[in-house]
Amino acid sequence: MKGYTYTIVFTFLISAILTTVLAVANQYYQPKIQRNEEVAFKRAVLYVLDITPETEDQVETVFAQSIRAHSVDGAEVYVREGQDGQIQGYAVLMYGSGVWGSIQGYLGVSADRRVLLGIEFIAHSETPGLGGRIDESTYKEQFRGVPLLDRPISDGDVDGITGATGTSNAVLRIVNNTIDQLLPKLEVGL
Amino acid sequence: MINNIREAFFRNLWTENQVVRQILGICSILAVTNLMVNTLVMGLGLMFVISLSSLTISALRNYIPHRVRMIVQTFIIASYVILVDIFLKANYPELSRALGPYIGLIITNCIIMGRAEAFAQKNTPFISMLDGLFAGLGYTIVLMMISFVRELLGFGSIFGVNVNFLQLDTWTIMVMPPAAFFIIGVMIWVATALSTPKQTSQPAVQALSRGQQALANQQVKAGN
Repeated sequence: MKGYTYTIVFTFLISAILTTVLAVANQYYQPKIQRNEEVAFKRAVLYVLDITPETEDQVETVFAQSIRAHSVDGAEVYVREGQDGQIQGYAVLMYGSGVWGSIQGYLGVSADRRVLLGIEFIAHSETPGLGGRIDESTYKEQFRGVPLLDRPISDGDVDGITGATGTSNAVLRIVNNTIDQLLPKLEVGL
Repeated sequence: MINNIREAFFRNLWTENQVVRQILGICSILAVTNLMVNTLVMGLGLMFVISLSSLTISALRNYIPHRVRMIVQTFIIASYVILVDIFLKANYPELSRALGPYIGLIITNCIIMGRAEAFAQKNTPFISMLDGLFAGLGYTIVLMMISFVRELLGFGSIFGVNVNFLQLDTWTIMVMPPAAFFIIGVMIWVATALSTPKQTSQPAVQALSRGQQALANQQVKAGN
């Protein structure tokens, strides 16, 4: 049986070594991970404003050219501007609870606030293969061009996913809540 | 040496297969086996972690103080798991997103700890590494078989390629975690049936008839 001192020294040493290895690996990959997250975020904002660039570099350039971020009431609103500075659409973060956990994504509306431009999800934990199919473009593309009238968006405007009624309803609820909060802010003007 | 390797190979893949014989690692099976791609990544991640952690633990086995050995083992396993997680996040963000927390949960996979305690502690590094690798391989093969059934019936596809040419209805239950229970139950049944030597039911019958005889004797006595 080895003594207490040995045990303490050994535990301390192995902790130090393993932590160092992990810290180095983390430091080495951190820029890449951050870039991945940033590209995913920019791609999502562009997607809901109906711009779909292909490569990562295109995402960066298009985002830099046509998106301006404004802070309204502490929330970021991403404004798409054309060449002449004319506003073409607004995008905001949307979030709410899904079936298993929270759903996060972005939502875009047109400049005249009468049409939904698109939605995109960046994080959710819905059942893979059922609710998880909200990631599929056939589902997301349905939201493009849905008119924003006095009534909320319902399953008459957008088909839900078979076998995932809970998730489909949750998405509609999140989209409607986000629009309800966004439109008054835009009325005030940016 | 070759014999040892062969023994470790067959033991881990069949006679003591971690999943169908030892019933370990079931929780991760329920979670990740509905798509074959996810399953493969999970299996490869586990094989990487289990072989390297077995190697490390075996190399340090004479230095790790006995009373803190489990905490040290967990620490080593966790380090490798975090490395896999960081690597996936940096290079395969889509896969990392699809697997979500399950990569991190490899840490709690009882197979790794089991191999560390049962094998790597008492054996030399090289064979320990192979033992871990084969244990992971046995786990991965079983997982791939389960996910093959689940993806085929649940989505009508194999590795994401649609093979549902007849447009048959897919089974929603196969997409949900409980489906893995049914499939793994059948697999355990088959594995047990294939490997249990056929026993004659002689002893049980004899015991029963002895009991009946004793009962009959008592009744006769009572009657008297």
